[in-house]
Amino acid sequence: MKIKLTKPVLAVVFALLLALPLVTTNNYVLHIFISMGIYVILSLSLNFVTGFAGQLSLGHAAFYGIGSYVGALIMLNFHVNFFLALIISAVVSGLFGFLLGLPTLRLKGDYLAIVTLGFGEIVRLVFINWAKVTRGPLGLPGIPKPTVFGVELNTSMAFYYMAIVMIIVTVVIMNKIINSGIGMAMQTVKADEIAAESVGIQPIKYKMLAFVISSAFAGIAGCFYASFISYISPTTFIYNTSVTILAMVVLGGLGSIPGSIVGAVILTLAPELLRFLSNYRMLIFGALMVVMMIYRPQGFWGAGKRVKNIYKIKAGGGKHVGHIKG
Amino acid sequence: MFTQQLINGITVGGIYALIALGYSMVYGILRIVNFAHGDIFMMGTFLGLFFTQSLGMQFYIAFPLSAAATAFIGIFVEKIAYRPIRIADKLAVLISALGVSIFLQNLAQIIWGTETHAFKSGIEVSTFKFGGLILSNIQLIVIFLSCVLMMGLYFVVNKTKIGVAMRATSHNLNSAKLIGINTDRIISFTFGIGSALACIAGLLVGIYYDAVFPIMGYSYGLKAFAAAILGGIGSIPGAMVGGFVIGIVETFGAAYISAGYRDAFAFGILIIVLIFRPSGILGKKLVEKV
Amino acid sequence: MIIKKIAVLLVAAIVSTSFIGCSSSTASKEIKIGLAAPLTGGSAQDGQSIQKGVELAVKMANEAGTISGKTLSVVTVDDKGDPSEAATVANKLAQDKSIAAIVGHFNSSATLAGAPIYNSAGVAHISPGSSAASVTNAGDYTFRVITTDAVQGAYVADWAAKDLGAKKIAILYENTDYGLGLAQVLQKSAGDVGASIVMQEAYEVGASDFSTVLTKMASTDADLLFIGGLYNETALIAKQLKKFAMKDLKIMGVDAIYSDALIELGGADVEGVLLTGYFHESAENKVAQDFIAAYKKEYNETPGTYAAYAYDATLIIIDAIKNVGNDRSAIQKYIAGLKDFQGATGVSTFDANGDVVKDPLRLTIKDGKFTIIK
Repeated sequence: MKIKLTKPVLAVVFALLLALPLVTTNNYVLHIFISMGIYVILSLSLNFVTGFAGQLSLGHAAFYGIGSYVGALIMLNFHVNFFLALIISAVVSGLFGFLLGLPTLRLKGDYLAIVTLGFGEIVRLVFINWAKVTRGPLGLPGIPKPTVFGVELNTSMAFYYMAIVMIIVTVVIMNKIINSGIGMAMQTVKADEIAAESVGIQPIKYKMLAFVISSAFAGIAGCFYASFISYISPTTFIYNTSVTILAMVVLGGLGSIPGSIVGAVILTLAPELLRFLSNYRMLIFGALMVVMMIYRPQGFWGAGKRVKNIYKIKAGGGKHVGHIKG
Repeated sequence: MFTQQLINGITVGGIYALIALGYSMVYGILRIVNFAHGDIFMMGTFLGLFFTQSLGMQFYIAFPLSAAATAFIGIFVEKIAYRPIRIADKLAVLISALGVSIFLQNLAQIIWGTETHAFKSGIEVSTFKFGGLILSNIQLIVIFLSCVLMMGLYFVVNKTKIGVAMRATSHNLNSAKLIGINTDRIISFTFGIGSALACIAGLLVGIYYDAVFPIMGYSYGLKAFAAAILGGIGSIPGAMVGGFVIGIVETFGAAYISAGYRDAFAFGILIIVLIFRPSGILGKKLVEKV
Repeated sequence: MIIKKIAVLLVAAIVSTSFIGCSSSTASKEIKIGLAAPLTGGSAQDGQSIQKGVELAVKMANEAGTISGKTLSVVTVDDKGDPSEAATVANKLAQDKSIAAIVGHFNSSATLAGAPIYNSAGVAHISPGSSAASVTNAGDYTFRVITTDAVQGAYVADWAAKDLGAKKIAILYENTDYGLGLAQVLQKSAGDVGASIVMQEAYEVGASDFSTVLTKMASTDADLLFIGGLYNETALIAKQLKKFAMKDLKIMGVDAIYSDALIELGGADVEGVLLTGYFHESAENKVAQDFIAAYKKEYNETPGTYAAYAYDATLIIIDAIKNVGNDRSAIQKYIAGLKDFQGATGVSTFDANGDVVKDPLRLTIKDGKFTIIK
């Protein structure tokens, strides 16, 4: 059976999404959708640096965490308005993204991956051990909700719509960048650094830019999360979270905006749908990840776009593994 | 206190080194990071526990048996989860490895429960005192065994026929295949050896600390991965050097600065070394080719 | 193409989430109690004993026919000990109107993430293990059957300094809300009783190597080691302390280390470990004795501290249902006004903040058994 999906049908789906909070009062459903929204932004932002610029990052949760903590701390201590806090979180996360981007001047591939992983762990340890500011493992409770003209937006419905707006803004901005000269240059760097250099593109500049933009968006997601849950603690921003986000990007299809959205939706929903399996839930989830990768190694979306392997081009000295099956 | 801390650091480092060898060898052959390696290490420890306690075997039978069984798990994981997508994309393999990692961790929790188990191996821990220093027999075994195994592995890779085949496969998989090397067998062999070494490391952890638990693979796996990269991934002596450096640095950091930042010292040294030596302490520099 | 795929996925997402969001239709003869605990992840071991405690309480109540004409059932969800997961499952439980009240969460961070959701939904939840100070202000619908770290920390300082004469205390704590909370309170109260803290170091949960911090401690003149952690790490620390024969000093902990696992793992090396506790099998407490007997019969093992707290939390909820019926706000009012409730962990009375007030016992390990110090 083939359902034809045209623009009107898409409009209906979008309308359904918009109308969802009106037809359901189920906070659990809304909560999952909002969490999904946060993960969509996170996977889009990681996709930017890993998918488009070709820099594998295993420490994305660090920027998510930095955004959360910066947002929460300025809202709690200086009573900064939520929307201003969003911007400040993005800027601070972006600055840290610049910091993490620095080693890319010299490092590549798996070496860079372990540096990002180490960076993520160090950031988490700072959250835990810098108790004077972050309250360490005790976490920060009572993070305020956004207010607009004195009205507190404390319902799930408000957060739901904010999430939708944020996703649209993120997708539009990313789409613009990717189709601009900057985006083209970035993808050229990903495909072949030396060729890029030969046509006058500075790889370093574009890699750094990718790290900064990616981190800034993750910071926004973090600040949004902090206000949404109203409590944050270091246990959320762990290596496992980075890995989950990476899994979303790869599963959806590396270097594809729709792919990142699809990946985030699948990996947020799957554990919820598998809840009935109780103790076997994560076991099955792990097995499903393997099966999905075997079934579609190129991800759910993005077939044909990933014929090029970001590593193959880089491995030098004839040492790379071949890709022709004998 | 300084010398004592040095000994503590070397002991932990030896364990990291043994696990790091598995990461390094697999990477050397396939250029992939086997993220499930830490959990294979954990499975090896639990198999040791199962053979000694549930089946009541003596350790000298149980331990070789668990190393063999763990090697089998490693080979099996590669066959099921990595081989079908080896040619696809390194990231696909990485995600598959993460899936395996989640699977194994939860499998262990379902089989053996979530609790920490005492690891009654039958090997008595005895301590010696020299002046103010305290050394235990297990510490000596850990250091001795990791050095011996490393040398043995070095010998296998450099002096035996299968070692030559391994190096050929590592150099170029397709060329190796063309000259008649059964590369699939070599890859299985590599996974087997790496997993068996991880199992030995796990058994040493079990004997030394007398405690095993299902999520132990996570932190050891992460540190060992860091050690493999620090030493120069793909290099056997590099994995050893990396393991010891990480073990010693984190111990001194925890002892003299702050124990809460223990892991940060391990990763901090890694980042600093990589910035100055981008391919690790003993790693070969990869020349970029157009 | 792209758009189509996304659209299909979104439809699927909406349909499937609406599906999981649906609560199964409730038979009027059934009353549900929610349970949110870490069944996987780092605290899984405690989460599973909590599950056993809750299920046992419900089973016993059903067998005794405590709620006439109705049967109780448990709806269990896993919060993994992670605050963001806790918020998700809190919504799931709060949303299901057939759930009368909830036992949960275990980790203080999970409780703090779930509390705003329960409070705005107006459903009472009783935590069996969150002892952090900040839980006090979490809201009217948040209760706990465990005393705050402040109470136990101050008690421990007093015991160590006044009765044991320990003037130099070393603290090793797990780097979690729980461990840090205890360490901070102890540090504060030590000064009040004339003791000083000579070392304070944190470790990560799941750490197995303590040689570094113990070597460091050996170079101080500590005469008592306080461990702000759980039984597994306490057993390992005691063992490594003995193995390296560094120093003979007293080890002290709180109720969280009361578990057979401590003795099983620590063996002879945990003999003489001192701890506070609210739950003990030889205590003259009929509820505790019935609980222990039933628990042993059901699960073939002895219950630890958190199974007992979970049992008590469930008993309180059952008692509330029995008295005021299946009505969320009436249950909250009933619990808030509860006085002198006799449970397995002693007598509970909730103060205005939903914190419990209880007196601890002094325990030690003697001949492989927890014994009350007279």
